[in-house]
Amino acid sequence: MKEILSEIDSWKADGEKVVVATVVATRRSAPRPIGASLAISESGKMCGSVSGGCVESDVFENAQEVLETGAPKMLSYGIEDDLAWSVGLPCGGEIDVFLERVE
Amino acid sequence: MSLIHRLAKLRESEERGILFTGVEGSAVGAKVLVLESGETIGEGLDDAVAQFDELIRRGRNKLLTLDDGTKVFAEWYGPPPRLFVYGAVDTAEAMCRGARLLGWHTIVADARGKFATTERIPSAGELIVEWPAEAIAQVQPDHQTAIVVLTHDDKFDEPALIGALETEAFYIGALGSRRNQERRRERLLEAGVDESALERIMGPCGLDIGADTQEETALSILAEILAVRGQREGGFLKDARKRIHVEVE
Repeated sequence: MKEILSEIDSWKADGEKVVVATVVATRRSAPRPIGASLAISESGKMCGSVSGGCVESDVFENAQEVLETGAPKMLSYGIEDDLAWSVGLPCGGEIDVFLERVE
Repeated sequence: MSLIHRLAKLRESEERGILFTGVEGSAVGAKVLVLESGETIGEGLDDAVAQFDELIRRGRNKLLTLDDGTKVFAEWYGPPPRLFVYGAVDTAEAMCRGARLLGWHTIVADARGKFATTERIPSAGELIVEWPAEAIAQVQPDHQTAIVVLTHDDKFDEPALIGALETEAFYIGALGSRRNQERRRERLLEAGVDESALERIMGPCGLDIGADTQEETALSILAEILAVRGQREGGFLKDARKRIHVEVE
């Protein structure tokens, strides 16, 4: 999260709710290291990344629920046959992404 | 003050710390920020926080799995490592150029004022004209500092290495031929340095990449510093059995 703190800080200062999604585990190869994170604000602003763009849109969808409820959520992404063309990682790795609302 | 605001301030103050977040199991969402100064914001996650000393020295993020299965993400905060070179020789300038590419802070010291000049070493973040013991006292190398001794002159190299061994530096390297290393080893032992402490010295320093020029030598030493930091051997990735990215275990 350290790379995007100033953005999160300023969005919070503007009174927005913010969700941070952080890569907390990777298996096999992964596009971004653990600690890579993506912040999503109530008004739809985004900053940072958790993959090379492969899963960000799905994280964004899930973030809407976390923005609303404030309940943290863990998402896992990998490559599976039926997912290979939807949401997944073309590099064949798996990542776990933790979503939490910044309080 | 909000946690986010405190974290944002860490970047300016260059304090080191770890943000622990419960991500799975009993403590999901719990957050504790522990700073190296001892300041702690938040509470709980005790078994994770107990690993602070080891984690802060490691210098990287880590997902911890506690005995009860709880998973805690430990995010490392702090300034980039420092490279401290004793010996304001040409290789020192090349090393500073390379280290700056990595975003590291660079310091070069030499007792010879004619050597340690900004004309000769323009890429050093700091230049110090002091003998080794004084320079080390000034720099105060810690567990996020790599020390490289480059003077080729025993009267500087030896006190620099003795001083370096008294610090917590994560890397200590020394240039010099194998014959010189052996001779230096004998002299350091005579000077009362413990044999096990000598194991910390990487000498001759650098990875075996056929380095020839000053720049190539600098790259070889910097690559070795990174390998030591990442606890890797430094060979070809295609031959490596371990996973490619360093933070993965």
